[in-house]
Amino acid sequence: MNERVAIVGLGWTGFRPVTPEVSYRELMYDAALRAYTDAGVDPRRDVESFVTVAEDFHEGTSIFDEYVPDQLGAALKSMHTICGDGLHGLATAYMLVRTGQFDIVAIEGHSKASNLLTIDEVTAYAQDPVLNRPLRFNTHFVAGMEMNRYLHETGTTREQCAAVVVKNRYNALANPSAPYGANLALADVLSGPMLSSPLGHREAAEHADGAIAMVLASEEKARHLTDKPIWIEGVGWCNDSPSLESRDWGQATYTQEAARMAYRQAGINNPLQMIDFAEVDDIYAYKELQTLEALGFFRPGEAGELTADGFTTPEGELPVNVSGGSLGWGHLLDATGLARALEVVLQLRGEAGARQLEDVEVGLVQSWRGIPTTSGAVAILSN
Amino acid sequence: MTLLKRDPKAPQAWLGNLPVTSRYTFGLGGERFFRSIKDEGEILGTHCPKCDRTYVPSTIFCERCLGKLEEWVDVGTTGNVHTFTLLYENYDGSHREEPEIIAFVSIGDGGLVHRLGDVEPEEVEIGMEVEVVFKPKAEREGSILDIVHFRPIA
Repeated sequence: MNERVAIVGLGWTGFRPVTPEVSYRELMYDAALRAYTDAGVDPRRDVESFVTVAEDFHEGTSIFDEYVPDQLGAALKSMHTICGDGLHGLATAYMLVRTGQFDIVAIEGHSKASNLLTIDEVTAYAQDPVLNRPLRFNTHFVAGMEMNRYLHETGTTREQCAAVVVKNRYNALANPSAPYGANLALADVLSGPMLSSPLGHREAAEHADGAIAMVLASEEKARHLTDKPIWIEGVGWCNDSPSLESRDWGQATYTQEAARMAYRQAGINNPLQMIDFAEVDDIYAYKELQTLEALGFFRPGEAGELTADGFTTPEGELPVNVSGGSLGWGHLLDATGLARALEVVLQLRGEAGARQLEDVEVGLVQSWRGIPTTSGAVAILSN
Repeated sequence: MTLLKRDPKAPQAWLGNLPVTSRYTFGLGGERFFRSIKDEGEILGTHCPKCDRTYVPSTIFCERCLGKLEEWVDVGTTGNVHTFTLLYENYDGSHREEPEIIAFVSIGDGGLVHRLGDVEPEEVEIGMEVEVVFKPKAEREGSILDIVHFRPIA
């Protein structure tokens, strides 16, 4: 058994709304090469196992996992693809090292969303084929209904949700990898067209292309490879019922349970006191507020008011989505959780450039797999 | 049929598509649920005596205790709006001027997602009592579309 596991290498490419000049393979290759260089490992010699995350319909290829080894240096080696968010992939890679079976493992996730020409239909194909899909509703209705119930149960307002958009897109201006940076006023967000009321169009992340790769290692290897290992202190994941008929519409209970699992491993009993900053789901603005409450940072109904008051800005007491989040760098499909983890690693290494937070030691990553799922994961990282 | 053809407007990319057609069976629990809508105009749930939960639509197992469910319950044709939305996009992502009014209507410990009808968008509220409007019996096929919509109880 390897008691401790660290992230020792980091590579990414993007993020951009479109990448017409490159293929998904080249995006993956670019990110992977950077990660191996950063870690100082030879993928053919040193990396013992590889994990990727992908979903066939997002890729436009059946049995897509067969197409990933070459560009990662994983051909004729131990590798597998899981169908989940990037943070589920990170959890899987973590466990592979933790077992002691492997000492160096790579994880990769990517998005070529700009190539997916019928993304709304693909997402709708995830609805229950008998109960829900015959109604032919665009799947954003799930987010609209969830937001409405969340606002109803907690007293959170549309203005407070819009404050998330203003904050995250402003944060993105300091992130060279984030294409959707903007200096907006609340009124700019609120005056936009409706998507699925009370959810406005400008409260939903636009898509982006990119790839992220990381190298994980056992403590012994990590100490040898880097003087800046970022430790994985805890990981948790959880799903609520997929059924629209029996899920919890107001609260992200799956995130609450995923956090409980990660906190137990990391020894966290007071998240607000023990965690310095967080990168969490904001594919839709309300999700950031709902998630912060599910993570136990705030009580239900508090996140909106605190966000509007600046508590979660980079200068605030709990910086949230300093990277700009999905609203700032774009919805990266299955790679989303890895993009959030990327920012936490950069911050903990002190390599976040103009947006570097001071004196950070423990960061939280949380990710959601998007509509219509109830699939969440949480990781606690430290330096 | 697998198509891989050159897109004349985008010389650097190739287009491909796949007709995906699947048959979905809804199982023993779902079959009885839809037959009962079709033949009787009744909505069925199943009750778990151990968890004291009534699943709507009916299922043959309890997702909490994984017990087998054998108590079938006619749960009536009314419920209340647990949450709702006005949806401004079509299935394919194109914009729609007139929104769809969609609600999750609580019935028993479950409920149904469906359209709301005979109501103006601004009149819809969480908690509002609504009832099922079925298609005429002769037109019902045993599907979720046998329900036209839910409407407020006058």
